[in-house]
Amino acid sequence: MLVTSDKTASPGPRAVRSALPWVTTASRLVLGGVLIVAGWGKIGTPVLSVQAVKAYDLLPESLATVVGYGLPIMEIVVGVLLVVGLLTRVAGVISALLMLAFVIGIASAWARGLRIDCGCFGGGGQLAAGVEPSYLVDILRDFGLFALGVVIAWFPPGRFALDSVLGVTSAREPDSYDTDDTDDTDGAEGDGIEGDDGEPLQKENH
Amino acid sequence: MGKAARDQSARDRIKAQREAERKQEQRKRMTTIATVVVVALAAVGAGWWYSIQSGQSEETTTALAPITVQSDGSVVMAKAGVDKPVLDVYEDFQCPICRELDKTSGPTVKNLAAEGKVKVVYHPITIFGEGVVRDNSVRAGAAARCVPDGRQWMAYHDKLFEEQPPETVEGFKTGELVEWGKEAGVTAPGFEQCVTSQQHAKAHADYSNAQIESAQIQGTPTLKLNGTALGNEAFNPSQLRQAILDAAK
Repeated sequence: MLVTSDKTASPGPRAVRSALPWVTTASRLVLGGVLIVAGWGKIGTPVLSVQAVKAYDLLPESLATVVGYGLPIMEIVVGVLLVVGLLTRVAGVISALLMLAFVIGIASAWARGLRIDCGCFGGGGQLAAGVEPSYLVDILRDFGLFALGVVIAWFPPGRFALDSVLGVTSAREPDSYDTDDTDDTDGAEGDGIEGDDGEPLQKENH
Repeated sequence: MGKAARDQSARDRIKAQREAERKQEQRKRMTTIATVVVVALAAVGAGWWYSIQSGQSEETTTALAPITVQSDGSVVMAKAGVDKPVLDVYEDFQCPICRELDKTSGPTVKNLAAEGKVKVVYHPITIFGEGVVRDNSVRAGAAARCVPDGRQWMAYHDKLFEEQPPETVEGFKTGELVEWGKEAGVTAPGFEQCVTSQQHAKAHADYSNAQIESAQIQGTPTLKLNGTALGNEAFNPSQLRQAILDAAK
């Protein structure tokens, strides 16, 4: 049975714990901001974003088209959710997965010796004449953003989050509540992801 | 009723009340989450729709503006008397994004020329520096120079993009280039011989290098409107139309 909440399980002294919500907020703003900029750079020119996806030579044609059309708006919507702090944990998980996928995609392009532009912030994935690919920089950036996504998913929602205002994450800590609650709906968001949290936390406690 | 019993029932009442409050809060929370999810999905849908609209091509409705193949290999498409604004199109028959540009924004460019709003100059060049991809490109570029008639040139131009081979394998073979020319309606008597012998390969390569140098072409496709390179709006037909109309004012 999972009786721990994030707060009680969090390691570290009190100062760290009180700074944590701010870390989450900062992560949300950075990651959300980058996602919005990246999505905005692509959404008006789906022809290019489809080409950029195809340049990776990873997905079949039809799927590449779907990703080319769907990814920009996904990035924008998830970015906005992160910035305002709505469905923070879900948005954090999605953005972390996105970044992980980007890291894998770029690393794979690099490993296969492709010469492409990552198309991260727009463009059709082709390198301009005389420009070298910037795989390492792209990977480091996206990995850093992935880490921010993990922080957000782990310690939502941080300060200044609509989740708190609207009571999506109850302002009162769930300590007093989670004795017997196996309510249908609550499980959807809470349990699955909280279960994921449990493991790494225990590892840290060794 | 004894004190203990009263306390007990009070505790029960409080417990029940708490339970009810908790349930209500839970319901409210789920409603909020569901609302946010629905709004987020609606936003994704709206964005998707916007993307599709942004990539939507025009139909070529009217007849094309007169097309003239010039001696240097560039091709002008404009109505008589229209000499500005000028839209320079630098493209490579082997470049996939050029093909996408032609498919997406080509009709807009043709329509605007036909409406007398712009003078279009096509510069077929080879941007690729080496390898099979360069050879393909040069063969196609040289073949296009074997078509002296403007209208036929445009048909061949579109056909070459349609038939564009992958960048990694040998394509645009001379036999294919001849055949596609015939399918596109090329009637020049020396066409087959001209393509097969790659008569204009050097002229095409020289022209490409000269253009890349003088117009400072970083990559293909490049669209220049009155000498200024257009950005991604070139791939958004309605934005491209607006940019050209603004320049025509």
